[in-house]
Formats: sequence, structure tokens, C-alpha cells
Amino acid sequence: MTPRERLVTVALIAPATLVLLLLFAGGLVGAVLQSLRPGLGGQISGSAWRTLVDDPGFRAALWFSTRIALEATALSALVATVAALALRGRGTLPRTLFALPVPVPHLLVATVAVFWLAPGGLADRLAGALPISLVRDPAGVGIVLVYVYKEAPFLALLLLSALGRRLREREEAAAVHGADWLQLLRWVVCPAIRRPLAAGCLIVGAFAFGSFEVPLLVGPTYPPTVATYALQATQTDLIQGQPLAAAALLVAAAASLLIATAVIGIARGLGD
Amino acid sequence: MTRRRLPTGALAATACLLFALPLAVLALQAFADEWRFPSVLPQRLGLRGLHGALASGAGGAAFANSAEVAVATTALALLLGWPAARALGERRLRRPEPLLLLIALPLLVPSYATGTGLTTWFLRLGLTDSRAGLVLAHLTVVLPYVTLLLLPAFGPRLRELEEMAKTAGAGPARRLIQVSIPAARASIATAALIGALVSWSQYGISLAIGGGLPTLPIIMLPFVRSDPEVAAAMALFFLAPAVVALAAAGRAGRER
Repeated sequence: MTPRERLVTVALIAPATLVLLLLFAGGLVGAVLQSLRPGLGGQISGSAWRTLVDDPGFRAALWFSTRIALEATALSALVATVAALALRGRGTLPRTLFALPVPVPHLLVATVAVFWLAPGGLADRLAGALPISLVRDPAGVGIVLVYVYKEAPFLALLLLSALGRRLREREEAAAVHGADWLQLLRWVVCPAIRRPLAAGCLIVGAFAFGSFEVPLLVGPTYPPTVATYALQATQTDLIQGQPLAAAALLVAAAASLLIATAVIGIARGLGD
Repeated sequence: MTRRRLPTGALAATACLLFALPLAVLALQAFADEWRFPSVLPQRLGLRGLHGALASGAGGAAFANSAEVAVATTALALLLGWPAARALGERRLRRPEPLLLLIALPLLVPSYATGTGLTTWFLRLGLTDSRAGLVLAHLTVVLPYVTLLLLPAFGPRLRELEEMAKTAGAGPARRLIQVSIPAARASIATAALIGALVSWSQYGISLAIGGGLPTLPIIMLPFVRSDPEVAAAMALFFLAPAVVALAAAGRAGRER
């Protein structure tokens, strides 16, 4: 690469890089500063972090967020795999119908869930009283359902693009040699969908972990997710709440990055 | 392969029904002036929800805020993302990993966290509760999506076209307008559509930055419990861009 070409490359990436660094890194640094400064112009102190570590409510929130992220991701992946296998080779209409939730905002999906599943909602009217409570339930079933509804089609779209025509040819070759569908799944389909599935699960998991508007609508008051814990903190205490919220959100950010590193590591290991 | 096949037809039909049908409740609820338990259908239909969504003043203003912020953010993201996508797509970087990481991280970290952190600076710069502040904050997540979605546009094929135009004597501006942008229009359309949708759906960042300048999601949420009919009417407005996106995707799928 000539020096001129190198200069051109730097000029090409500079605007986006600078803006992202300023906004993203700036946001994280801003959160760190907030977490260390109780109130405007207050002295630097670690009291928000101490409160956070000692608060059993925060530990409950951390565990609740983790559990929701794991359950939502695993269930979405399962539904997506089955749906993708069922939908491939079919026309545009079934695919479009199934993909309907993909562009729909999370808040809207949560709203639809309330209309259907809340006590006195449409499901209650159609089926009589539902045996279990799905909205505002302490186990977070409603939250997980909303995520599966929203993310399974997204994962299925990723899988469908991996289940292309070339894979069909390989499957037919394997079938000619006498492989049954279980063997096809294990030796032909699985290797093809592993990477896109891992990448998709990473996005879904990180997103569900940081979930905010979905638990606000369909989640219980206690336990909160980490993000709603932060919101509750700012609402209950105007001065001490802000640093506490910032500290909690930084833990959530760190956890998302940990999940990302872990999934990338697992996907690499599977690829070898 | 006739024996031991998965029953894919029934599965596909079930999947479609389970995922497409629930959304229809919005259209019903938005016009249900009276819908008492345990009736499955509303007793009386009407426009109270629509009036409530628009007449309160907040609804119309929030709709305009959301739309303006989405358009401005997407335009800015396309402008900034285009050169970065070119550098990545043409493999000009010897080590693209750091840049890719910087693009991926904002998508993985909860957006409410980034938004809350940004308020530290925005308060000092007078950017909280302003459109400029919302646009900048939304850019944190929209720019990564737009850059990633523009990537497929760049590569040897576009490079060849541009070289040909250069040989034919076209200057840089003309090459961009007459060759590069038309050749990349599918990627640009996808990036613009998804970018605008991401901004339009954004909740956490908007709540952190712009409490005084409400967007549609922010004012809609409290209505879900207090007045479902108004919430559903707002939801229909909120859903409109997603419907446009699906229609566009369907059309693109058929053309292919």
C-alpha cells in the first residue's frame, strides 16, 4: 500500500470511527463518572458501588436478567431451527407471514402481549380463564414469550439464508448414500447453520439481557431486570439514584461484553 | 427420503399462524370503544382511540419528533457509514478487527446504559431534551447497523464500474452520483430502512436523553395500562414504518 492509499483509507474510516468513539466510549466514560459522583458537583466516591454490591435486590435483578437472556435465547434458537427447516423451499408468503414480527418494535410486541395475555385479555376471553399468569408474573414467563415471538423469526431468517440451494444438493447426495433425516441433521445441516446461529444467538442474548421496555410492560415489579432496576433507582431517589443506576448499567454493559466474548469463543471452538 | 420425514407442511402453517395472527389484535383494539369482559368481540366500534391518540396534542408531536429524528439520524449514518463501509468492503484495512469491534460493541451493550452515560455530557452541552441530542444519541446504534448493511455494496464489481467511469472521464462527484450510488441502491435502501426502524423503535436511549422531547414509544407505554384503546391506536401509527419495511422486503424478494 502506498502512503497515499494509506492516507485515503484513514480518511475513509476516520469520520465513523471518531463519531462512534465519541458517542460509545464517551457514553461509557460518562456512566463511570456518574456512578462515582452522587449529585451535581459532589465529591468522587464509591458509595454507589458499595450500595450496589450490598443490595440483594440488585443480585436478584442480575440473576433475573441472566435467566431471561438464557431462556429466551435457547427457546428462540430451538423454534427458529424447527421453523427454518419447515419453511425452506416454501414460497414468499409463508416466509413473510412468519417474518412479520422481525421489523415490529419490541415495545409493540410487548403491547400485543399485554392485550392477549393480561388477565381479562383476549386469551382469557377465548379460552376461559388462563391457568397461569403470563403478564407481570415473577418468573418472567411473559418476558421470555415476547422475546421468543420477536427473535425466533429473526434467527430463522439468518438460518434460511444459510440453508440455501447448495446445502440441498449436499443433502440429496447424502440421502442417496442412505442417510436418514437424523443423520442429515447431524452431519449436513448442523455444520451449515452453526455459525449463523451462534452469531444470531449472541445478538439475541445480549439484547434480552439488557431488556428494558419489555419487562416494563410485561415483567413483574420484583425482581426487576438490571435495566429496570436502574430506572427504579432514578425514580425512587433523585440524588443517590443516578449514580446507583449508572453503576448498575455499567455492570449490565460488562456482562453483555462477557456474553459476547464467551459466545465467540464457543463458536470458534465448534468451528475447529 | 419418503420415510421418516419431518411433517414440515403442518409445522410451517402453525408457525405462520402463531406469529402473524397476534398482531391483528391491534387493529381491533384501536377501534374498540366498548369491549367488556368476557366478550370476544368489541360491543361498540368507534374512533375514540384515534381521537385520544392525536387530539391530546402529545401524540401528534411525538409522531413528528420520532419521524424527524429517524430521518435525520439515518441520513447522518448513511453519510458517515458509506466511506467506512467502503474501506471495510474493499479490504483496504490490514487489520479490520478493531473497527469491526467498535461497530459491534454499541449493538451488544444495553442502549439504556449508553444513553444514561451520554447525559453526563449532553447536560453540559445543552443537548438533553433537544432534537440534535436525540439524533446524536440514536446515532450510537444506527451508525453500526447502517455501516454493516452497506458493506455488501462494496467489492471488486463496484470498483470495476468506478474504474470504467474514471477511464471514460467522469469526475469523482459524477462517478458517485451516476455510478456508485445507483449500483449500490439495494444496499442503501436496506440500510436506510433498517436504520430508520432502529431509531424509530428506540426506547432506552430516548428515555435517558429526551424526557422533555417525547418520541412515540415514550408516550405510548403508559397508555397500555391506562387506556388500551388509545395505546392500540398509537401502536398502529408506530407500526406503519414496519409495514412499509415488510412490503419493501417482499417486493425486493420477488424481484430477485
